[in-house]
Amino acid sequence: MTRQYRSRPGLVLEVDRSTAPVLMHHGEQLRLEKLPAGRSRVIYPPEPLKPIDDPDAAIRDALENPIDSEPLRELLHADMVLTIAFDDISLPLPQMKRPDVRQRVMEAVLDIAAEVGVDDIHLIAALALHRRMTEEELRHAVGDRVYDAFAPRGQLYNHDAEDPDGLVLIGETDHGEEVQISRRAAESDLVIYVNLNLVSMDGGWKSTATGLSGYQALRHHHNVHTMLHSKSFMDRENSELHTRNWRQGEVLREAGVKVFQIETTVNNDLYGDGALEVLGKREWEWSARDRATFIGLRASLDRMSPSLRRRSMQGWRAPYGLTSVQAGEVTAVHEITTSNVFDQQIVPVEGQTDILMFGLPYICPYNVNSIMNPILVHCLGLGYMFNMYRGRPLVREGGVLILSHPTEPEFSPVNHPSYIDFYEEVLTTTTDPEVMERDFEKRYAEDEWYRHLYRTGYAYHGVHPFYMWYWGAHARSHLGDVVIVGGNPEAVRRLGYRPASTLADALEIASDTVGHQPSITYFKNPPLAMADVS
Amino acid sequence: MRPTLPRPRFPLSSAPTPTEVESLPGPDLQDRYDTAWARKPVARWTRIAATETLGRAVVSSLCAPVIHNRDRIAEMDGPLIFVANHHSHLDTSLIQMAIPRRFRHRLVVAGAADYFFDTRPKAVINAWVWGAIPMERHRVSRRSAIGAADLLDDGWSLVIFPEGGRSPDGWGQAHKGGAAYLACRCDVPVVPIFIDGTDRVLPKGSRRPDPRRVHLSFGEPLAAGESEDSRKFAERIEAAMEMIADERQTDWYTARLRAHAGDSPSMRGPDLDSWRRSWAKPATEIDESAKGLLGRLHRTSKRQKRQW
Amino acid sequence: MSRGRESIVFERNIARFGAARIASQWKPGSGGSVGPLKLKTRLPELDLPADGWVRIAPHLSGICASDLAAVDGRSSRWFDPIVSMPFVPGHEVVADHDGARVVVEPVLGCVARGVQPVCAPCARGDLGNCGNLAHGQVSEGLQSGFCCDTGGGWSTSMVAHQSQLHPVPDDLSDKAAVLIEPMACATHAALAAQVQPDELAAVIGAGTMGLGVVAALARWTPPATLLVAAKYPQQTQLAHSLAECRTVAPSEILRAARRITGSQILGRGSNARLATGVDVTIDCVGSPASIESAISITKPTGRVILMGMPGKSTIDLTALWQREINLRGAYTYGREMISGRQYRTFDLAAELIAAADLQRMLTAVYPMNRYADAISHAASAGSRGAVKIAIDPRRGSR
Repeated sequence: MTRQYRSRPGLVLEVDRSTAPVLMHHGEQLRLEKLPAGRSRVIYPPEPLKPIDDPDAAIRDALENPIDSEPLRELLHADMVLTIAFDDISLPLPQMKRPDVRQRVMEAVLDIAAEVGVDDIHLIAALALHRRMTEEELRHAVGDRVYDAFAPRGQLYNHDAEDPDGLVLIGETDHGEEVQISRRAAESDLVIYVNLNLVSMDGGWKSTATGLSGYQALRHHHNVHTMLHSKSFMDRENSELHTRNWRQGEVLREAGVKVFQIETTVNNDLYGDGALEVLGKREWEWSARDRATFIGLRASLDRMSPSLRRRSMQGWRAPYGLTSVQAGEVTAVHEITTSNVFDQQIVPVEGQTDILMFGLPYICPYNVNSIMNPILVHCLGLGYMFNMYRGRPLVREGGVLILSHPTEPEFSPVNHPSYIDFYEEVLTTTTDPEVMERDFEKRYAEDEWYRHLYRTGYAYHGVHPFYMWYWGAHARSHLGDVVIVGGNPEAVRRLGYRPASTLADALEIASDTVGHQPSITYFKNPPLAMADVS
Repeated sequence: MRPTLPRPRFPLSSAPTPTEVESLPGPDLQDRYDTAWARKPVARWTRIAATETLGRAVVSSLCAPVIHNRDRIAEMDGPLIFVANHHSHLDTSLIQMAIPRRFRHRLVVAGAADYFFDTRPKAVINAWVWGAIPMERHRVSRRSAIGAADLLDDGWSLVIFPEGGRSPDGWGQAHKGGAAYLACRCDVPVVPIFIDGTDRVLPKGSRRPDPRRVHLSFGEPLAAGESEDSRKFAERIEAAMEMIADERQTDWYTARLRAHAGDSPSMRGPDLDSWRRSWAKPATEIDESAKGLLGRLHRTSKRQKRQW
Repeated sequence: MSRGRESIVFERNIARFGAARIASQWKPGSGGSVGPLKLKTRLPELDLPADGWVRIAPHLSGICASDLAAVDGRSSRWFDPIVSMPFVPGHEVVADHDGARVVVEPVLGCVARGVQPVCAPCARGDLGNCGNLAHGQVSEGLQSGFCCDTGGGWSTSMVAHQSQLHPVPDDLSDKAAVLIEPMACATHAALAAQVQPDELAAVIGAGTMGLGVVAALARWTPPATLLVAAKYPQQTQLAHSLAECRTVAPSEILRAARRITGSQILGRGSNARLATGVDVTIDCVGSPASIESAISITKPTGRVILMGMPGKSTIDLTALWQREINLRGAYTYGREMISGRQYRTFDLAAELIAAADLQRMLTAVYPMNRYADAISHAASAGSRGAVKIAIDPRRGSR
């Protein structure tokens, strides 16, 4: 049977006394939480949009009829230097079932390049200061055909932001922001960027100006000031982060770096219609089979060892469907992309709330196939989830954010070495992002060991935990308090937040800040949605 | 204190649908339930085997039917639409047993979509045991009509209760137009059947059968006239039914006379509400000897019988 | 004197040793109740072994980690030839001698033993390294408190050689004075490390000894950066109040040392070590884990001082060999050289206690009849927020 798409829009449900408990993610575990009646509401994300029937045809069509650009075929010629950059492992979350959209797009692009006869092609994972992708992950993203054709010749590799010879300084914006890009990209006749836009923050000039850049340029927008003025960074028009990226992009354009941007959007079909379908359904629509699946799933997750639990959850591949693909000039393409992302994700919500609640899942962009450590919990909760709004924040100024996550002080020494030091040294000294930036950032950014692990191992850059902390800077200044339900008390306190053992306790703690009878909004996700707050 | 079992909560029981939320179209049940599988050889032959053995045994032990006027359809060949008055769940089995084998083995029964097909287990059981197909009784449903018509065209005979459900009080109810419509559309004759007595054996609402003899009479097959529309034909079917009922109460000739005069007693009973409708129902003689096997085992029944 | 002497006596009793050893696996310090200790009353006074010996009445006597090891049956057999039983424990003693307050320097060296001529270390004043710990006028015993003839501090009275007695300065209370002996150990270890002003030093452990070493380093040879591995919050606070230092949890010391040295971590898990490391590490714990961690954070050719008593340990010494690390012990004291001048360690310790206000390290004083509680408190001092526990023999005797 083919998949049925109801594609109902998102829903804001007022909780009354007969409302059943709602599903809440709790790291790798699942919980059902009863919300206080009469003053709570639940925001349900929209259902998956119907994907394009023939994605490959849509991709070919986008390449042949690009926006504000000549068709791709006419931009290519045989003796050119061509670089194809693509989004890294942080997108989409969780990873998608094969074939990945990037594979489809890249194969279509390479088909045309082969037809024209281009020899000098490099494929670069545009990971900026993220960890390098493993062979398996690269194969998953670009597909075996592309990998086997280019990787053995050294033409498919991870971007290296610490390669002293690999980056060039292009110039400065009129605001004094340095612009840096991979030397290969700078020297190419054409850079094709293959993007996968999961949230509205991705894409546009952020792809190239950030993805193929280095610390020297990134620090001009990945800093506390910028993040405090990005309200939110999911809303490009109001995001200082994007304003600065766009300025850097202009400098790239003026310097003659020619970018052909291919952006794709996928629906939010995380669970498909198989065994895990229940996790994407609304509670009152759970059939007997769904409920049995849920009970079994919850019980087995609760009984698994943490590492087995992590492995089984990280092993999930989502059956996303491609909903749009557009190619051509960066900004024009990105306008359409953003509107397509919004079509899938926007839920209109009336008014702000005193308490905003999230159940944080097991994954964020920086722990794919890895461990979600407390700093990433901060980043996911206060960085990403809090910022899933347009207009004004979902929670009022001085309100409380309640997160549900085990927040164990567990780190991957391979992927997050500098995070451990950040946790042990920086967070024991301060939780103030500005103090961190002033007293610690430079030392971590220039630490030789981190640099070594970033370049040769699979470690995030030394400065990355700082960016994770800055990501939540706006939320920290906006919120009155943050409570983490079920979190390791010591770790939660070190983050500067308050631990609570149950949701009821968390609400009790929150009442210190927002008084009794506060309004509560539980933003149910994943799948991701974005609140348009009026 | 009476001990009470803990009430299962979500997710052990289902969650109530919030009031302001539109509920989902359910799974493919009711008139969307596809019964094709139940007419495939395996399901069909196991059904026939079970009906001919177990079904027949149960029915004869409960009501030992007497069948009248079977000769009226002896010459017919299929397909046919059998219409009958409806008092009891036994009616379907009775008809299945009473009609000739050539119809019996290629037979579907129209069952109320909202009653027999509202959950998947019920739909599966009813489709297999009776060869039921879903029929919408409260609204016009093209889907169920087309489904039945296709089967008639395919040579399947159909049992349908035009009253749309079992009688709540022993009196007949107004006929719905489905049978007549199908007969007109597929050009299939209609055979009226009158069943007398099942309202005493296992009336609506009863869970405990009171075995006794019942009677089943076939009427003359009717075909829709060239220019006859289905509404007219439906009236004719109802009239035919009243005539066989009259024939059961009196005799063939009296019934014919009254039918031609247009004053066959109505099966619908007095135009009254409430208990008086039940009160007006004629008594039936209690015929202990006519009871089937189960009935004889059942002498100690404490059920209060209505005596006149 | 009519009631006689009351002492907590440590007797040779194999069954009780075994019981203590087993019980202490489950709960350290349970040797105090099931082990070889017994509170005895109406004991006869000890004889004065020879001329120069006097009788003193302890005011306070501390409980040392070596006492705990003995009580829990975990002492190294190394001590067998230099201990005589039954003995009265207690070598951290402040006592009354003819109305004057004294502290006992417990090492039983040549002078106290009446050995003539005195051995070379004793002649230098390096009593701790005396070569005659089993000879002379008193029985075998490395210190008062481990010798059957001298008695010990956990008693209403004991005997001591006059050379062992140091008058307590008037401005030091008993509670401060009882810390002189342990602080003398700490001072000795700190000075043994010979820390240079431009060096990076690490101290592992922040119990009495660790904190004493931190204080002593800060006072006499402050390093450029001092890293302290402290397990419990009160230890962290005290360490910060004693010296300018960075404190980390013991499990974090490798990374912390990497950060201050700008080094790299090689290997993973228990095999992790720094590519370079700190110049000198003083281990004040003495467990195999702490010694290995000390070696793994110390640079090649660096120094590791074992101040905590290690006992029998299984340690991979390849690191020591490959990195040419100097491993040395630091046991007791005698005399120290600071910038070319010689001092008695006890004098330095008294000065350190007064200057750094170390009296706050004495957390609790128990009467004698509650010695089992005292020992269990001392054995779990860190987790119970304590540092030093002492026994007051004047209280709780019958």
